[in-house]
Amino acid sequence: MFFSIDPANGVAIYEQIVRQVKFAVARDAVKVGELIPSVRELARELAVNPNTVARAYRQLQTDGVLVPLRGEGLEVASAARGLCRRETIDIIRLRIRQVLTEARQSQMTAQELSKLFEAELKAI
Amino acid sequence: MPPAIRLANVTKRYGRQTALDNVSLEVPTGCVFALLGENGAGKTTAIRILLGLLEPDSGVAEVLGIDSRNRRQDILRHVGYVSERPTLYDWMTVAEIGWFTAGFYGGDYARHYERLISDFGLPPKRKIKDLSKGMRSKVALSLSLAHQPQVLLLDEPTSGLDTMVRREFLESMVDLAATGRTVLLSSHQIHEVERVADYVAVLHEGKLVLAERLDDLKDNIRALLVTLDDGVAMPRVTGEILRERRQARQWQVLARGMSDEQLAELRSASMVTDVEVRRPTLEEIFVAYMRTPSANESTHSGSADAIRAGEVFRP
Repeated sequence: MFFSIDPANGVAIYEQIVRQVKFAVARDAVKVGELIPSVRELARELAVNPNTVARAYRQLQTDGVLVPLRGEGLEVASAARGLCRRETIDIIRLRIRQVLTEARQSQMTAQELSKLFEAELKAI
Repeated sequence: MPPAIRLANVTKRYGRQTALDNVSLEVPTGCVFALLGENGAGKTTAIRILLGLLEPDSGVAEVLGIDSRNRRQDILRHVGYVSERPTLYDWMTVAEIGWFTAGFYGGDYARHYERLISDFGLPPKRKIKDLSKGMRSKVALSLSLAHQPQVLLLDEPTSGLDTMVRREFLESMVDLAATGRTVLLSSHQIHEVERVADYVAVLHEGKLVLAERLDDLKDNIRALLVTLDDGVAMPRVTGEILRERRQARQWQVLARGMSDEQLAELRSASMVTDVEVRRPTLEEIFVAYMRTPSANESTHSGSADAIRAGEVFRP
């Protein structure tokens, strides 16, 4: 599981960690039952404050993505994969919505938009 | 838990120059606390007072509850310190300066020092005078950490260092904080501070203008970009405006303590075409607070004409 943190990108650092763990679970980069790095390990690796990592991990536990494994750390919960897939879709939906709102504000038509969408989809 | 570091009404003057002007702040145990400010803002003075290297003209400075003024020895036992330009004995080797310093601390100092220099990849047999700037800094950091201090004071530790060395410094800091130790650093590297700090404080011309948890700061301040209809007056924004600029139809605002309802109200105002909301970067917040005090005299009239000429800042 690799992370890339940008402190200045407008999303709180802990939130970036939460999202990236969820994305990683959704695409099977970490699997159910696998241990994730400890707070200290990840803080060091990312050079971010350990409290920030701890906050992200607490959030991930509340969200049901991680569960504590007695004395060993945190592992990916069994229901996490489905959960993270759905959340990933939600995040993408939200982003699309933002782009569409922006497009509407610059007076683009639905037709222009779908054309653009199709072209971009093919281009990936 | 008592604070790891405390300054209470500390004032320090050099002749007519006031380096610190009635500064009070507390650094909680186990956090990374960043002190920001321009050159000459008083950061180094504050750190040197905490170490007992300088005496304040008035006020109290304490580290771990120990008064800095008359118990310097006790402070140095529990505190690690890296200055901006560490002075080291040039003729000693990396290993020798460790043995030498171990003499003052005793205990496990030598063993910890050996481990630190090997972790940092420092050549034990090389003379200090033959080391690069980055390596010298790593020696200074190793020396300041080998007695396993509860509090680490870093005075612009990474200025002038390359990216890799800065990164190693950051990792060490993060690791210390992870073990419950307290780190106070002064820095110009706002992006680094943004990564590692729990708290930030801003000194400006010797005065403390801000001391707050970084998360709270960023959660409470919004950066707005408001697009307005042609030639209309400015909409009213509730909350504290830290900085605003207007250019033609666009209005850039850094507002503190604005509620969601107030934001919705602004969005639905008739003269407003669009409102873009962002979480501000620490740099934007820093700049806004740095400019705030000097603009005390200007007041915000709420009309566009008053602002068009330039920037208006509000404390």
